[in-house]
Amino acid sequence: MRVLHAANEAARGLGLYPGQKATDAAALAPELKLEDADLAAEAASLTALTDWCVRYAPAVAADAPDGLLLDITGVTHLFGGEGAMLADLTHRLARAGIPALGAVADTAGAAWALARFGPPGTIAPPGGQGRILAALPVAALRLEAATTAQLMRLGLSTIGALGRLPRGQITRRFGPHAVLRLDQALGQVKEALTYRRPPSPWFTRLAFAEPISAPEDLARVSFDITARLAARLEAEGQGARRFSLGFHRLDGRCERLTIGLSLPGRDPKAIARLFAPMLEKVDPGFGIEVATLTAERVAPITGRQGRFDAAEEISPEDGLAPLVDRLTNRLGEGRVWRARPQASHIPERAETRTAPLEPFAGAEGWDPRRPRPLRLFSRPEPIEAMAPVPDDPPITFRWRGRTHRVRRAEGPERLAEEWWRLKDFEEVATDQLRDYYRVEDETGARFWVFRAGLYQAGTAPKWWLHGLFA
Amino acid sequence: MTYAELQTTTNFSFLRGASHPGELVLAAKAMGLSAIGITDRNTLAGVVRAWSKGREVGLRVLIGCRIDFICGAPSLLVYPTDREAYGRLTRLLTEGQRRALKGRCELTWADFLRFSEGQIGIVAPPEDLEGGFEEQLREMAAPMPGRIWLAAARAYGAQDLKRIARLDALGRAAGAPIVAVNDILYHGPERRPLQDVVSCVREKTTIAQAGLALEANAERHIKSPAEMARLFKAWPEALARTREIAGRIAFDLGDLRNEYPDEPVPAGKSAIEHLTDLTWKGAAWRYPRGVPDKVVKIVEGELALIEELNYPNYFLTVHDIVAWAREQGILCQGRGSAANSVVCFCLGVTAVDPMERDVLLARFISRKRSEPPDIDVDFEHERREEVMQYVFARYGREYAAICGTVIHYRPRMAIRDVGKALGLTEDITAALAGTVWGSWGSELPDEQIRQAGLDPANLEIRRATALAEQLMGFPRHLSQHVGGFVLTKRRLDETVPIGNAAMDDRTFIEWDKDDIDDLGLMKVDVLALGMLTTIARAMKMIRVDHGRADIQDMADIPAEDPAVYDMLCEADSVGVFQVESRAQMSMLPRLKPREFYDLVIEVAIVRPGPIQGNMVHPYLKRRKNPRDVVYPRPAPEHGPANEVEDILKKTLGVPLFQEQAMKLAMVAAQFTDDEANGLRKAMATFRNYGHVGVYGEMFLSRMIARGYDAQFARDCFKQIEGFGSYGFPESHAVSFANLVYVSSWIKRHYPDVFCAALINSQPMGFYQPAQLVRDARAHGVEVRPPCGLKSDWDCTLEDSGQGLKAVRLGLRQIKGLKREEAETWVAVRAEGAWTLEGLVQMARPSRRFLELMAEADAFAGLGVNRRDALWRVKGLATEARVETEAPLLALLGPPREETVALPAMSLPAEVSEDYRTVSLSLKAHPCRFFRGRLEKLGAVTSEVLSQSRDGRRLSCGGLVLVRQRPGTAKGVVFMTLEDETGVSNVVVWPDVFRQHRRLVMGATFLVVHGRLQEAEGVRHLVAERFTDLSPLIAQMRNADEEEAPRRRPESEPRLVRSRDFH
Repeated sequence: MRVLHAANEAARGLGLYPGQKATDAAALAPELKLEDADLAAEAASLTALTDWCVRYAPAVAADAPDGLLLDITGVTHLFGGEGAMLADLTHRLARAGIPALGAVADTAGAAWALARFGPPGTIAPPGGQGRILAALPVAALRLEAATTAQLMRLGLSTIGALGRLPRGQITRRFGPHAVLRLDQALGQVKEALTYRRPPSPWFTRLAFAEPISAPEDLARVSFDITARLAARLEAEGQGARRFSLGFHRLDGRCERLTIGLSLPGRDPKAIARLFAPMLEKVDPGFGIEVATLTAERVAPITGRQGRFDAAEEISPEDGLAPLVDRLTNRLGEGRVWRARPQASHIPERAETRTAPLEPFAGAEGWDPRRPRPLRLFSRPEPIEAMAPVPDDPPITFRWRGRTHRVRRAEGPERLAEEWWRLKDFEEVATDQLRDYYRVEDETGARFWVFRAGLYQAGTAPKWWLHGLFA
Repeated sequence: MTYAELQTTTNFSFLRGASHPGELVLAAKAMGLSAIGITDRNTLAGVVRAWSKGREVGLRVLIGCRIDFICGAPSLLVYPTDREAYGRLTRLLTEGQRRALKGRCELTWADFLRFSEGQIGIVAPPEDLEGGFEEQLREMAAPMPGRIWLAAARAYGAQDLKRIARLDALGRAAGAPIVAVNDILYHGPERRPLQDVVSCVREKTTIAQAGLALEANAERHIKSPAEMARLFKAWPEALARTREIAGRIAFDLGDLRNEYPDEPVPAGKSAIEHLTDLTWKGAAWRYPRGVPDKVVKIVEGELALIEELNYPNYFLTVHDIVAWAREQGILCQGRGSAANSVVCFCLGVTAVDPMERDVLLARFISRKRSEPPDIDVDFEHERREEVMQYVFARYGREYAAICGTVIHYRPRMAIRDVGKALGLTEDITAALAGTVWGSWGSELPDEQIRQAGLDPANLEIRRATALAEQLMGFPRHLSQHVGGFVLTKRRLDETVPIGNAAMDDRTFIEWDKDDIDDLGLMKVDVLALGMLTTIARAMKMIRVDHGRADIQDMADIPAEDPAVYDMLCEADSVGVFQVESRAQMSMLPRLKPREFYDLVIEVAIVRPGPIQGNMVHPYLKRRKNPRDVVYPRPAPEHGPANEVEDILKKTLGVPLFQEQAMKLAMVAAQFTDDEANGLRKAMATFRNYGHVGVYGEMFLSRMIARGYDAQFARDCFKQIEGFGSYGFPESHAVSFANLVYVSSWIKRHYPDVFCAALINSQPMGFYQPAQLVRDARAHGVEVRPPCGLKSDWDCTLEDSGQGLKAVRLGLRQIKGLKREEAETWVAVRAEGAWTLEGLVQMARPSRRFLELMAEADAFAGLGVNRRDALWRVKGLATEARVETEAPLLALLGPPREETVALPAMSLPAEVSEDYRTVSLSLKAHPCRFFRGRLEKLGAVTSEVLSQSRDGRRLSCGGLVLVRQRPGTAKGVVFMTLEDETGVSNVVVWPDVFRQHRRLVMGATFLVVHGRLQEAEGVRHLVAERFTDLSPLIAQMRNADEEEAPRRRPESEPRLVRSRDFH
């Protein structure tokens, strides 16, 4: 059963609420567009928000699915007090399009409760949460939904009412968790939170005592700084597919060079070699005082060891990768590619360009039962052909001004157009097809020709040449 | 040039074939093939349809199948040559299906060899001929010398000729010569898109990503012998062999007829003699004052016909099952055309004396139709399983099985699957599926597409809807029929393959009941009917609690009681069989039934057929002024003036029953027997959808030619069309009307019994227990709440000091309670445990059971209120500790636990909790708490509304019980509201609905402002606007808290979940 995962103000205004059956919701608001909840993306954006909040306090914990807990002990003075800090935080979030409610209290449990069930922006005075919490509903205690519901049914609808009961009797009926949550909120039991530290970005810088400008210096610096970042990458078993080198000039401008790798890498020599040809383009101006290097598209690489017998020292990828990298950095990205088979009956759609060394998930190889020419023209070329009707191979054909006499032939291989790409559904008919023939002329040259559409009495069929076999 | 196609995949190879078997046979006939062989994958599910179409158009259909082996051997097309070999094939398929999961079949080549005698085999070669195929072919050919071939197809692949040459060589070497096939997937090339779509559904991919999973071209359709000869011009012998193979198959599905089991009969008697004895014995019981001469004559006629058509064993079977059920005290009643048979009445199969109507023998069994009689018997729904087990036990599982049912693609599913395959986004597909209100004819109107916010001119949408229309009616999977038994003389698995049902230890056959009919096999429908359960329970309570020992059977209920009809005339029919719906209730005061036959009409008239055929108003008008009835006549030269009058007299000139429609066709439109039979089939079955139109032309032109008024002819045919999907034969209506009468009688005289018996038979019927209870209380019945000390699982009757007993609601009414635990609890109580602690100690229920009981206020009888009871039972040891520790210590808990004072619960909160736990409240109706508010809004009670006059502007508020948008009502929405005084009906016209859709669909508690419409005692409030009070419902729950928290958790604003149409 599909249910609503979240509803914004507009949706609530229509009477929709989280947990409602999707069919009920659609009946209420037929114009409703339903999207599947992307829980992973939600978790990821909460994590990103956690990282961002480090600007306020070093210790930030994500409270999935929709909460953040900040330990602001000792940092509030930086923002002008608890109230100002909370206001700044909610203001900035609101500006980023994230509606948020917040509260400040001695305990995580109390802050959680006040943020959700108290007046907006509540600042509980130190030690004063007990009094403020008493009036909040038991739902503010972070208990299981079933427990909360049963407490309400017993008439114990507020935290105050629950708190007045003997702890032993609560434990007996609702388990230790209920009492623990109560005590955590009131500060009678400490609560340990799991704080998140943002990952250090893959970045390093070198500052020089004296500005540099000589090309040899730039070359040395580009190796040194790469080696520095590479050491860190190696320590964490990572490599990167893109490196961006910045030369920061005295006048505040920055000269930036970027190189890409076809496989994640971190060998400083190889990387510096790729930067080398670009260095001559760098204009140092009055001198360069700082160099920075950023690694992007970081991915783990497993350390590899060559075989002891050294018979096969390196895998093809290892041998090919430097060449591909050099060609790519010369010719530009996207200019070096590899053709891979793609599952389609239509010849021009049966191959796809992929990055040269990219691992390929599809089946490798070409089906020998369906021979395809080594060279497939990107556009078939028109030919004139003579062939017995209705679907025998041609006897002769004329291509680029030359007549070829067909000695041997095979076919037809009948390939129908992909009807779902046609402009008009009603058009789907038997004439939307091609009959392909593999033919060999008197010189032994082999061609791939096709007739467009079935033979129809009275009209001359159109013939095309689509490729050449070796 | 002759050619027979020997490799044909129909859409019964689910998600592979893209044509119906019938379409393929028609195409084969049109192309001039000499025969067509059906070879679906591991199944014979589609062969009957192909075979009957073949019989219709005059084309030989060869019965076979394609076996896909799990052992790696290439697939084999198998054709049995005679009846014995056919039996072996069905046994083989049965074996393969029984050992696999539902819908699968697991067979090896070794399995096949055990059943290979008399089979012809054609090996279907794999795409790759290398990799061991040569070896496999030799192994397969060796044990089947002279009856194995190798299939060769011209698929227009790149190297067809090379491949066939290779197959030819391999075949010669192995002794399996090649035979030409076209490996059919669809009847014509235009089905390629649909075939691609079903392939995508099968492979769970989209058309854009399917790639090589799709066929490269559209060549796998039926081709003419000339075209096949051209394609195989290098191998003429391959073509000639198709004829040779077809010639060697001597088996025809028609051979399966007449294999009905013999019933045991007393020594020295034949089946017909025994049946005759039983019939006369029954006649003496049915007519205690002597069998009337007219009956004697008819019985003799029926018996003669039964003997002539060789059906006595079948009647003995039905008699035996019914007699057994009677012995067990299981209530049953026959329906269907059997209700027209006096023999069935005498045998006790049917309950209504057909002599009270004028019986036409031919209605029951037709000599010309040569179809077996159709006897359906309803049993109490809770005891039907016993009857089915009896049938299995009596005939043995080898000789009895339940029919299959073919689950077809319905519009929603079709558009979902097609949309997914075409890569439409989920919400477009959902929007398209959402446009289908109830039934969707054969086309999705543009208007509906536009309403869903989509553009009908959009190419993708048009493609999706066009393909979905083609896909509709395709079989999706096989399932089990509700209760149609097929019985056979020889092992059933030698007649039809038997597969596993999803439920353990259940099996069903591959054919559905239409297939069984087409083959002329006989079946007995053992059906379940909830109302029979209710009646059986009620009759028992009437005997036991009210001391009426004379009510033993439905036949003992006094007939034609005016009090019963008085009650029905006032539409006082909540809970009564069939006539309890809103539509039926509004018909009752207009129809004013005064005798049994009126009930027959009432049952039949409120059906989509008559409503769509515009038959209702004319009928009511004529009923009011019987003198106005004029019967159309043919031109004098064409026939007797009263030919129509004879047919339609009983229904005042308006055709209401299927039988009348048929007779009209035969008499007024001069249909031949065959034509009428075709019309009947076209009306009855989904698979012939669309064929009704052909008969329509015939019907209209012939009636008009014979001098009938064109409008009358059109009306008649419209009515016949309406029957297409919802036909109600008179015989059926008679059987149902009997149950209407019986249940009304119980309701009228024993409303206490009626209420308890209905609730105990839940879920069934139209109303929830809350409404049944409200209705019973309105009839002066005292209803008492579920009680831990007094309630059984079921509702019971208790003394009330008056004539009517009080109904004690059963523990079944408490949501979530487990029946076993409740029954243990009741049993322990019977042993004498009388305190909460005592009961807990002896019954050892789970803590959840106790909590549910406490929350449902079932301990109120012990003087403990809801909250204190919940606190107390929660204080008892947890389940785990009850198991491990000394029970006494654990259960009594720490005796000196400090008493806790929980706040008292307010009445609104109590009512709210009652609804949550037992779905109704005996304490108060929720509306009572808001009456002041309602009055301020100008709302009157439904009681006031029910006494107000036509045309008054009124407002009325209440809980929403039902929302309906019947397909027959052109977009009108009907709502039922309930307040503390009763229910009121609201009509929302489409324009008002459009304006207030959200409210109409979403509100759980609202006030309707509008105008009262009253006609012949039926009142509707025609809505103009609404006030939504739903949020008040949530407030009830919190009505008792003095410390009101500021923001509270959200709760669903509803007490009852209304029954909605979406």
